[in-house]
Amino acid sequence: MSFYTVVAVLLVVALTSAVFWVFAPKQNQTVWRSTVILTLSMMYLMWAITYLSQLHPLVEPRRADLRPEFAE
Amino acid sequence: MVEKEEAMFRSAEMSLIQLYVPQEIARDTVYGLGNLGMVQFRDLNTKIRMFQRTFVQEIRKLDNLQRQYRYFNSLLQKHNIALYEEYDEDDKRFQLPPGSSAIDDHVENGSLIEERLVQLVEASERLELQKADLEQYRYVLKAGDEFFANTGASGSGDELLSRSVSFVTGVIPRAKVGTLEQILWRVLRGNLFFKHVELPQPVYDAKSKTKVAKNAFIVFSHGDFILQRIKKIAESLDANLYEISESQEERSKELGTLNTRLGDVYTVLDTTTTTLETELYAVAKVLNYWNKEVSHEKSVYEILNLFNFDSNRKTLIGEGWIPTDELDTLQQQLAKLTSTLGVDVPSIVQVLETNRTPPTFHRTNKFTEAFQNICDCYGIATYREVNPGLPTIVTFPFMFAVMFGDMGHGALMAMVASLLVIYEKKLGKMKRDEIFDMAYSGRYILLLMGLFSIYTGFLYNDMFSKSLTLFKSGWKWPDHWELGETIFAKQVGVYPFGLDWAWHGTENGLLFSNSFKMKLSVLLGFIHMTYSYMFSLVNAVYFQNWIDIIGNFIPGLLFMQGIFGYLSVCIVYKWSVDWVKDGKPAPGLLNMLINMFLSPGNVEEHLYPHQATVQVFLLVIALICVPCLLLIKPLHFKFTQEKHHQHQPLPGSEEGASSQNQLELLEDDDDEEEAAGHNFGDVMIHQVIHTIEFCLNTVSHTASYLRLWALSLAHAQLAAVLWTMTIQIAFGMTGFIGVFMTVILFAMWFVLTCVILVVMEGTSAMLHSLRLHWVESMSKFFEGEGTPYEPFVFKAVDFESEP
Repeated sequence: MSFYTVVAVLLVVALTSAVFWVFAPKQNQTVWRSTVILTLSMMYLMWAITYLSQLHPLVEPRRADLRPEFAE
Repeated sequence: MVEKEEAMFRSAEMSLIQLYVPQEIARDTVYGLGNLGMVQFRDLNTKIRMFQRTFVQEIRKLDNLQRQYRYFNSLLQKHNIALYEEYDEDDKRFQLPPGSSAIDDHVENGSLIEERLVQLVEASERLELQKADLEQYRYVLKAGDEFFANTGASGSGDELLSRSVSFVTGVIPRAKVGTLEQILWRVLRGNLFFKHVELPQPVYDAKSKTKVAKNAFIVFSHGDFILQRIKKIAESLDANLYEISESQEERSKELGTLNTRLGDVYTVLDTTTTTLETELYAVAKVLNYWNKEVSHEKSVYEILNLFNFDSNRKTLIGEGWIPTDELDTLQQQLAKLTSTLGVDVPSIVQVLETNRTPPTFHRTNKFTEAFQNICDCYGIATYREVNPGLPTIVTFPFMFAVMFGDMGHGALMAMVASLLVIYEKKLGKMKRDEIFDMAYSGRYILLLMGLFSIYTGFLYNDMFSKSLTLFKSGWKWPDHWELGETIFAKQVGVYPFGLDWAWHGTENGLLFSNSFKMKLSVLLGFIHMTYSYMFSLVNAVYFQNWIDIIGNFIPGLLFMQGIFGYLSVCIVYKWSVDWVKDGKPAPGLLNMLINMFLSPGNVEEHLYPHQATVQVFLLVIALICVPCLLLIKPLHFKFTQEKHHQHQPLPGSEEGASSQNQLELLEDDDDEEEAAGHNFGDVMIHQVIHTIEFCLNTVSHTASYLRLWALSLAHAQLAAVLWTMTIQIAFGMTGFIGVFMTVILFAMWFVLTCVILVVMEGTSAMLHSLRLHWVESMSKFFEGEGTPYEPFVFKAVDFESEP
């Protein structure tokens, strides 16, 4: 659980993209390649940014309305 | 057969062809091409005016025929007879046209039917008038009883007076009764007696050709002269005057004869209308089919008018653009045509060498078409330049989803879109109104927008403003606390996918998600712009425009990366360092970036060692890039191009394309044009504008991506507010009221969710996403100086769509 998770997932996504580049359907190949790989990268980016922002947070959740029964 | 180019990344390669067609088979050839839809013909007769061209006669004839068909259609609509719709699959096969004798038959039929219909319509109109006239007379006669009965009651004592008094009777539109009375009162100085009765049914009026509500009236007065004046006034107010007798017996006798006459008129009118409608039913069955054939025929002649006619050799010469990979198909089809028609002289296709800019043709399918349209709305790509429509397929819906992120709303949208996609064949045949048609043609955009919204909603951990607790939270609340005590959570891990649900409902949850969404938008924006900017490199390499790479691309890239690339790296770096554990204060990135410009070399809070040096270095590079951007291209132009004044532009280069288009507008000649010479001043001014624009845009465009943050924040907050203000109220109630309120408030919540959050917010997010593509992304590489490829193809014809 650290920065390396992000790198590892990046490698996985890159590998998946590369595999898809090769095995893309022959018909409408450009559209398939562009769409799938771009989708993968956008989804990865969004996930990575969300994950990174919570990696070392500077603020912590604070609330005063939690019922004491909720304590584990 | 050559495999077709996909033509999505770049527009298809086009060839200019010359087509030599023998005159006998010209019509058949062009008709076949209209079915195939692959050639965009050029006008070779720009100097000849429209009405001097070869096939004007034919077109005029067909125009007249189409006018007749429109007349038939208007009659059909008047009689509420539905046109017989024919569903023909649009097969793109090379077909032979209907024989020219068939068209002549159409022309003959059209005139015959028109003549007959006009006669019938006129006859029925005449009868209608006659009927109306008689009916009015009858009403006046009937009203006479009332008129005289009343006057008899009031004036029976003075027999002498009633004998000297004469009267005028008639029928007048109801709206004008008051006017008539007023005018008569003034003209006769009150010396009259006016009465009127409403007719029970509206009567057909010859002037307005519709049924009008009317009144029967009677005016008593005396003196012939005055009577004449009353008649004139009444007639000027569109009244119809009828003379009736004073005596009851004569009136009833008259009524008797009138009724028999009316009966006759009714029968004749009935038969006329039946005949007319039978005729129209027959026409309704074939009218669509006729209209299609005739309008195809007309468009064939319109195309033939663009051809050069060589009267000596009896050939027509046409010129047009065709995708290079369709050339073989064209030749095969033409050969097939020649053999089926059994003509000795074949049609000849010849590819011309030209330096004209070909039209831009992206091959789209039902999936890519809507996305391509988004980009084509902004501008048609220059021939062979990178097509922004391709990345738009993903980036457009995704940018939308970043603003619209909510699993629930995304799911609603995706469900509606998938309905449209699943039933696309059925819906495609339906007549759609404007708004539904927009949703239908953008169904794949909607689908992707919905799906991506589900994904981003998952990452935002929002489903109708509520969080899902799918994974174990990364935060742990204290073991015990008092009611109302402010408590802080402790980090025990990192939430693996999306935002931690522990933030939901906390006091500072918004603080955290704001910081996260702001940085998300800056990072996504920067990456999106860099990605788009790379296409300008791809373009420059493809067109071998090396000076563009050195003078535009590299300085621009360094400038952009030096400022916002650095900021992005810093954002990611700051996230990856555990500031709390290291016990260092976390530096504010915004201040860092501002100070980088305002006081270079001074860093108050260090993000990393040697930060000051790195920042000064980046700043110097960015500053050096500005004069490079400004000067390299113009200077290069000065030293290379101005030496030989007559420079030939590269076939695809910016100057070449634009100047050629201008020239083409000025004079569209057959000769190859010479490009207009650019001088140093033009290039310099262009580059100054480009430099200023680029530097300012780097900043403003990055800031513009902050709309991703703003809109997604607004969307999430609105969803939360809607939840608390509607359905949440119902949760505290019990018993009958609880059930009742739950049903009512759920309905309210759901309707408002669909209308406001999905439709309204969705539209707004879509427009913002559209702007991000048109302005922020496409300005990085897109020239958009192309002309669209519009091949000659038979269009579906419809009476409504015609003028």
